[in-house]
Amino acid sequence: MSSLDAIPVTAEVATGNVKPLLYEVRHALKRLANGEDGTVIDLRSIPLAPGEEERIEELLGKGEVRAELDALGPSVVQETSYPGVWLVTHSNTEQVVVGRFIEVTHMPELLKSQQADIEHGISRLEQELEN
Amino acid sequence: MRKDQSLGEYLRAQGVSRRGFLKFCSATASMMALPPSALAQVAEALENARRPSVIWLSFQECTGCTESLTRSHAPTVESLIFDAISLDYHHTLQAAAGHGAEEARMAAMEENAGEYLLVVDGSIPVGNPAYSTIAGISNLDMLKETAANAFAIVAVGTCAAFGGLPHADPNPTGAVAVSDIITDKPIINVSGCPPIPVVITGVLAHFLTFGAIPELDALGRPAAFFGQNIHDRCYRRPFYERGQFAETFDDEGARKGWCLYKLGCKGPTTYNACATLKWNAGTSFPIQSGHGCIGCSEPNFWDKGGFYNPISAGMWGSREALLGAAAAGAALGVGSALAARRRQKKAQGTEI
Amino acid sequence: MTLLDFARGPGLQWSLIIMIVGLCWRVIGVFLGRWRKDLSRPRSDDLVQGGLRAIITRSAPAPELEKNIRFQHYTGYIWHIGFFMTVLLYEPHIAFFKSILGFGWPGLPSHLVVIPAAITLAVLVMLMIRRMIHPVMRLITRPDDYLSLIVIISALVTGLMAYAHMGPRYETMLALHFISVEILFIWIPFSKLAHMIFWLLSRYRIGTFFERKGVKA
Repeated sequence: MSSLDAIPVTAEVATGNVKPLLYEVRHALKRLANGEDGTVIDLRSIPLAPGEEERIEELLGKGEVRAELDALGPSVVQETSYPGVWLVTHSNTEQVVVGRFIEVTHMPELLKSQQADIEHGISRLEQELEN
Repeated sequence: MRKDQSLGEYLRAQGVSRRGFLKFCSATASMMALPPSALAQVAEALENARRPSVIWLSFQECTGCTESLTRSHAPTVESLIFDAISLDYHHTLQAAAGHGAEEARMAAMEENAGEYLLVVDGSIPVGNPAYSTIAGISNLDMLKETAANAFAIVAVGTCAAFGGLPHADPNPTGAVAVSDIITDKPIINVSGCPPIPVVITGVLAHFLTFGAIPELDALGRPAAFFGQNIHDRCYRRPFYERGQFAETFDDEGARKGWCLYKLGCKGPTTYNACATLKWNAGTSFPIQSGHGCIGCSEPNFWDKGGFYNPISAGMWGSREALLGAAAAGAALGVGSALAARRRQKKAQGTEI
Repeated sequence: MTLLDFARGPGLQWSLIIMIVGLCWRVIGVFLGRWRKDLSRPRSDDLVQGGLRAIITRSAPAPELEKNIRFQHYTGYIWHIGFFMTVLLYEPHIAFFKSILGFGWPGLPSHLVVIPAAITLAVLVMLMIRRMIHPVMRLITRPDDYLSLIVIISALVTGLMAYAHMGPRYETMLALHFISVEILFIWIPFSKLAHMIFWLLSRYRIGTFFERKGVKA
């Protein structure tokens, strides 16, 4: 491994997509503030050079809320330092990232309890109470 | 999963919550290159999707396509899609063998006539069908027989889509693509050597979600994944524009991540999703790892002049041929000069 | 076989062969033709130097005639220089030559080569229009002149379109560029474009001829 590390590799590339993405986020935030619908941006659909996704994360920063989900593998919903801008990372049970989204919304859908699950829970609770 | 269960019922029976299902749908929509706004439609479609029967035929292939798809044994989104289909026949993955396996195939074809999806990997030898047989049946016969009642055919991998490696010059087995044999069924070519796993499952997911084949390009490949060429999405493009090329694999340019055009990259003429979706769950792709694109999703990519010769180099033949041409030209020159001299002498009558 | 496969393969092979056969035929044919014996006494024995000098001196017009041909002369230089810069200093082209010759050379940043290419194209189009409108040019123009212009212009146009990813899909546009250059290769030996070899030979010949007569030309 050490001989591989000895190869100095410095890739200095950029797609130039970081700034436009942030402009899109700003546009979406303004719409949200005006009472319009939220926006979801799929980070996988935009060509990004190595390191640019990290740069976007760095620029967005971390906010006050961090939620960890455990559904078909771990997911992390992190509010960024810009309120209303959430970074959602879905991973599978092998810790492999299967989806990355920027959600501009008051509350990401996935954090809310789902109707079907609530109803399922009611039947479980009723069963529990009968015993 | 029971055949009459919908995908939604199946996942719920597996203990997947609605929240988990939505996460699954959102990752699937992303995999199909659909915008996040399509999530509601995808969720509804997948909720009610029926479990399609899939017969997978492997012909003259290296099994790389199956490997690409089934690398992980853990429940990834890809394997969940795979779970959602009823894989009724697959050499590498099935438990049955011999007559039992062939009977299972025939039974699946009968039960689901007109509705099953036929997936093929590997090329079909027509030079002599005996080059590749399964249970004594030639690939050619098995393909024709199984395709007859299929809803659609997915040709997975460049071998099935275009002939691939066996088709390369001089093509000793007479290998051809699925589309060269079957002309009356819709064929989706998912090319690549191998194809990116999410592209394969994206096509299956599309079929699950919409019950139809996705939009195809001129070569029959799903436009969502093969609509852009590598060059247009390559993160090293700015170096190409500025003329900063790596000359060898270990020079300064290579270390700085410069364009690999001169090292034979076929990115400009190759259409695939490698530059955006990348490989190994978005880890990297050949160019990012320092090797030029070999154009593996294009027909005849083995015969495009070599993986390490740039596109602009051309395949101009040999130096001997050009020297021969020079000799031939010189001979013509000598001949015409002699003829001209003779004409002049005759016209003038004297040696001036 | 796709269009690009043909263009990079047999198209390129055969156009190069035809060009080489044609050029060798013409050059050898010219050399082996009869030369009229000059029976006069030579005024100088430095014929080689005279020949070589003419190659250089004839790059500029004769002072007496310069003002007549000024426009054609300088625009000619501009587009020739621009053409050579485009063909010889663009990295993918250098890779092409390297595959045939075995060696390459340093080039210009790719996005800068567009400038000489565009200037060359503009000048050529303007010269073609001038040739079609100017009364004297019209009198002396032959089909060869127009065809040579068109062949060079299509190579430039297809090259620029391929570079800019304009027009048909890239692999088709690239194939068209290759094919336009192959047509150029085939056209060279059988047209006035053969001057790209003959200019050296002609000037040298004239140089030795005049040197023998004792004239500095």
